[in-house]
Order: sequence, then C-alpha cells, then structure tokens
Amino acid sequence: MKKFFNEFLKGIIRENPTFVLALGLCPTLAVSVSVTNGIGMGIAATFVLLGSNIIIALIKNIVPARIRIPCYIVVIATFVTIAEMTMKAYSPALNRALGIYVPLIVVNCIVLGRAEAYAQKQSVLNSFFDGLGMGVGFTLALILISAIREFFGAGTIFGRALFKSFEPAFVLGMPSGALLVIGLLLGFFNLLKMRKEE
Amino acid sequence: MSAAQFLSIFISAVFIYNVILSRFLGLCSFIAISKETKPALAMSLSVVFVTTMSSIITWLIYRFLLIPFGLTYLRTISFILVIATFVQFVEMVTRKVSPAMYRFFGIYLPLITVNCAVMGVAVLNSDMFFVQGKPVAGSFVYATFQGICVGLGYTLAMLLMSGIRERLELCSIPKAVKDFPLAFIIASIMSLSFLGFNGFKF
Amino acid sequence: MKDRLIVSVSPHLHKDESVSKIMWLVVASLIPAGAAGVFIFGISALSVIILGVVSAIATEVILQILTKRKITILDGSAVITGILLAYNLPPQVPFWIPIIGAIFSIAIGKQVFGGLGQNIFNPALVGRVFLMASWPRYMTSFTQPFNYDAVTSATPLALLKKGKLFENISYLDLFLGKRGGCIGEVCILALLLGAILLFIKGYISWHIPIPYILTVGVFAYIFGPKGLLSGDWLFHILSGGLILGAFFMATDYVTSPLTRKGQVIFAVGCGIITAIIRLWGGYPEGVSYAILMMNAATPIIDRYTKNRVYGAG
Repeated sequence: MKKFFNEFLKGIIRENPTFVLALGLCPTLAVSVSVTNGIGMGIAATFVLLGSNIIIALIKNIVPARIRIPCYIVVIATFVTIAEMTMKAYSPALNRALGIYVPLIVVNCIVLGRAEAYAQKQSVLNSFFDGLGMGVGFTLALILISAIREFFGAGTIFGRALFKSFEPAFVLGMPSGALLVIGLLLGFFNLLKMRKEE
Repeated sequence: MSAAQFLSIFISAVFIYNVILSRFLGLCSFIAISKETKPALAMSLSVVFVTTMSSIITWLIYRFLLIPFGLTYLRTISFILVIATFVQFVEMVTRKVSPAMYRFFGIYLPLITVNCAVMGVAVLNSDMFFVQGKPVAGSFVYATFQGICVGLGYTLAMLLMSGIRERLELCSIPKAVKDFPLAFIIASIMSLSFLGFNGFKF
Repeated sequence: MKDRLIVSVSPHLHKDESVSKIMWLVVASLIPAGAAGVFIFGISALSVIILGVVSAIATEVILQILTKRKITILDGSAVITGILLAYNLPPQVPFWIPIIGAIFSIAIGKQVFGGLGQNIFNPALVGRVFLMASWPRYMTSFTQPFNYDAVTSATPLALLKKGKLFENISYLDLFLGKRGGCIGEVCILALLLGAILLFIKGYISWHIPIPYILTVGVFAYIFGPKGLLSGDWLFHILSGGLILGAFFMATDYVTSPLTRKGQVIFAVGCGIITAIIRLWGGYPEGVSYAILMMNAATPIIDRYTKNRVYGAG
C-alpha cells in the first residue's frame, strides 16, 4: 500500500509535471488566468490521465511498439471526448470558459508523456496511482499559478474584485507573465528544498 | 502566388508571430531541450520535418477527404493521428541513425506528437488557406511553405535559447534558479521583447 | 576595487581602469540628459529619477545580503540601471512605477542571472518592458514640454503612427528636446554631449551606435510614407529613444557582442527591428524591444564571430 502512496505522491512534488517535468505548459499558460478555470482544467485533465493510463497499461502487451503512438492517441482522444461531453452536459459555463483547451487536452504533453514514460511499462495499479498523482500535481500547480496571476494580474479572487485602488499588473494575465510566475515559483521551491537539505 | 506573399509568410512565421515566443506553442520541448545547442538543433530539425510533412498530409486530407464528405468536425482528431504517425516514423529513424541522440531526447521525441506547434500550424493552414471550404489560389504551396517556416521559427527560438543557456553555464548562477527556473524567466523576458511585434501590418 | 575575471576570447584588452571607474564615468555622461529632462518636464521628472536610482540600489543591497554575496553597489552599475530605467519613463508616472520597475530590473534583469557581467539582457530595458506590459496606460501618457502642469500630449512618433503629419515640430525642437517623450530621451543635445565624453575616454566605440542609427535612417528613408525614397530620415533619427538607446543601452558591454564584427551585426539587427516596428508595427517606438531581442542573439553572434586563435586553422 505504501508503494502506491509513493507513486501518488511522486506526481505532486518530486516529479510535479508542471514544475519539475516541464510538461503541459501550453494549456497551463493559457488556462491559469483564474483559479476556477485552473481547477476545472485540472479535474478534466486528471480524468483523462487516469483513463488513458489505465487503458494503456492494460493494452501495453497487445500494441506493437512500432505503432504505439497513434494507438495511444486514439485512447487519449476517446477519454478527452468523454470529458468534453460530460463537461458540456453538467458544467456548460466551465466548458465555455476553457474553450478549445478542453479538446486540446489531447495534445497535453502530460497525458502522452505519462503513457510513454510509465503506463506502457508498469502495472495497471501503479499506472492508476501515477496518473492520479500527476493529475493532482498538475491541478495543484494550476491552482497556485492562477491564484497568483489572478490576484496580481487582475485584482480578483474567484472572479470577485478586491480593493478599488489596486492597479493590477496586466502582464501577469499574459503568457509572458505566466512564464515569469512559473520560473519564480520554481526557484522558490528549489530554495525551500535547499534549506531543507541543510 | 506572389513573392510578396511568400516573404510575408516567412517573416510572420519566423519572426513576427514566432511559434514559441509569440504564440507560446511548443513550450515543453523548448524549456527541456534547449540547454545545449546540438540537441536543440537536432530537435529543431525533427520538428521542421514533422511540421512540413504534416502540413502536406493534413492539407491533402482536409482538401480531399474532410471537406468533400462534410467531415470538417473531425479535423482535430484526424490531424493529430497524421502527426502521430509521422512522429512514430521520425522516432524509428532517429533510433537507427543516432541511438545516443535518441536516448538523450527521451520522451520528448514522441512528445513532438503533442507539440502544440505542429498541431498549431496544421490548424493555421486550414484556417488561412481555405475560404468557405475552397482552397485559395496557391493554397497547397503556401501551406507547405508555412509548415517549413513555422519549423524555422521554432529553430530560431531554440537556437537563441540554447546560445543563452550555454553561455550561462560558464557563470555562477544562484543555485535556486539554475536550469529550469532561469529558463522560464529567460523565456518570459524573450517573449516580453517579442511583444514589440504586436499589431503588425504589412 | 578588484577587477573581475572576464571570460572572453583573447586578445584581452587591459585597461588600467577598473570596472567601477568606467561605470561612474557613464553615470557622469548621463547627467546632462537627466538635467535636460528635469528642466523640460519639471520636478516630477527629478523624483522619478531619484526613486529609480534609490530603488535600484536598495534592491541590489537587499538581494545581495539575502543571498550572502558580496555587496557591489559601489561599482555604480545599479545606479546606471536606475538612471536608465528612469530615463525611459514618462515624466508624470505614479511614484510606484519607477520603484517597481527598478526592483524588477535589478532582481529579474540582473541578480537572477548571478549579478553583473552575467546578465543576458539589458536590466533597465527588462524593467521597462515589464512596466509597459503591466501598466500600459501609465507608460504611454506623456506630457507637453515646458508645461509643468502636466498637460498631456502625444510623442512625435505616436503622431506619426496615427498618420498625423509633423508640421508643428521642427528638427531643432526635436534636437533640443522640446517635445513629449520619456525623461532621458528627448534632449538629443544633452545625450550627444554625454556620448562624446564616452567616445573621448574610449569607453564606447562607433561600431554599435553608428550602424544602428544609420540602419534606422536608411530604412526610414527608403520606406517613406509617400512611396519609396521619400522618408524623413532625420526626423526618425531625432525622435523617440533611438539616440538614448544607441549610445547608452545598446553599447552595454555585458549584453552586446565581444568582437567588432559581432557588434556591427548586433547594431544592424537592432536597427532593422527598430525600423520595422516603427514603420509597420503596432507600437510607435521599437528601440527597447529591438535591443532586448538582439541581446538574446548576442551569445549566438559571439559564437559565430569568434576571433581565430593565432596559429590555428
């Protein structure tokens, strides 16, 4: 049991997809402008990750290595379609907010990345926890980044404006600002890690 | 077809609307593989090949399959399958030609499949060079050329970034920001400078 | 003051002066432009400059204490960054703009790279571009010259971008600084005086400023508003931040190429980008963006214009 828990934890900190592996950056930059969007995308991506990791781990021995990439894409695309249809049915506002980035989960490096690096080599149960950990790690990263970007870049929290006289820094609403936030957060985490090791 | 149109595509794709620094597509490999120039150029070469070939194939599919049969809503998934196939091919070749480079790229080689830049140019081509379901004059050539140029734009960004990061290897960077954090910050500054090209009109 | 080890290709030039002496002379050469700016735009310009410089120095000290590195504010480079940032700001910006800009310039533009000599980008311009993207309204509100009540006006380049002809402004006005613009960019006369000082002392050479300015002039002339070869090149050279940028920012040792050939390539690149932004881009002025883009290209330029080692090849 402890082993599974470690697989799960790995995706949150040690191998966080956004901060450590530098995966899934394009949607991160675009979606992390508000915390609600960040959470929504995180949940959708986690669902797809879980589904694709499990299925790919199941079929890994059947799929010939030479055509594995297109096969994985089909699996991933299926789960993305399910996620998209579910979102359209139960949360149309979120679907509108995330726009094309929902179908673009197909090209989210994290999903194919974990399929390639992990699910095709590991057991189904391990892949499940890996997918869960990566998804949660991704979601937490999105929440953290979008909290900063939303607060300092737009002056709002969960869409509600705060002080009147606060002049938000628009650059944080742009992808350039997102890259800056990610870089500084990563530097900060490294600093904490270094302090801990002393 | 005019020389001016080709020049415009070239300058737009490589500089003004650079796929990485202005459109922010293809960032994952940009941050991860840009530490040294040789691998950066090798990755760029692979990307140019994939963007060019997938521009060609996706154009053909769009023109002769999706539009005539009214299946344009399948654009995303059909394009990504084409791209996935080509990347698989590139992977096989790289493995044979240079196993060292293949090992170095790790998962980032198959990840060209989901490199938003590749998907991006395929979608861009079908948006730009088809009007109401009909290809514009010279559509195929423009689309292929744009595929090449977007790959070149990717190469330019990788070249700049790897030059910078290689120079920084000689310096004493604060330990907390070494490698990835600084790479993100450099990418941020580079993209801020590319904001200067906003609102361009020829 | 210890001399730093310069990592570069031989031959090395050995000046008998240390880095800090050069820096402080650059500060001195910048004073005429600032004085002119204050004279033209009033006391608010002076406070922007002071805030910029003080914030820059404070940020550097604090960061160097926190990271347990040597405190280097006496080398004058933080002061230069503060001054150059302030010179790139409109005179009536809110007090917190130069403060935040200076903090960003020093922290992100310089210290994150490990301090002086290791930064890739010109720190003052990094700060300016950050401010521009964050608070565009404040960064593009300019005031009339000699009207200390802060009447807003547009800069000559902004008017040009909108297609309004520049009838009301003469070349002499542009040269002396009787126009809207940033604090340190408007008085060409004062800037040139400072630049001449740097030339005499041999701290800058012609290889960057002259090709840069010439390239902009040539482009402006060729791609004139009324058809080919009708452009007003003198207007372009005297407007905006070109003179300030070409002589004081593009020439920064750390962020420009090492070899003479590389420097000319760098300068021409800056000129081309500045010109195309001015002529066809959305912004009226492109100097800051052009220099930063070429800063990014400098490592590659250095790599491919390396001097040959004697005896090899």
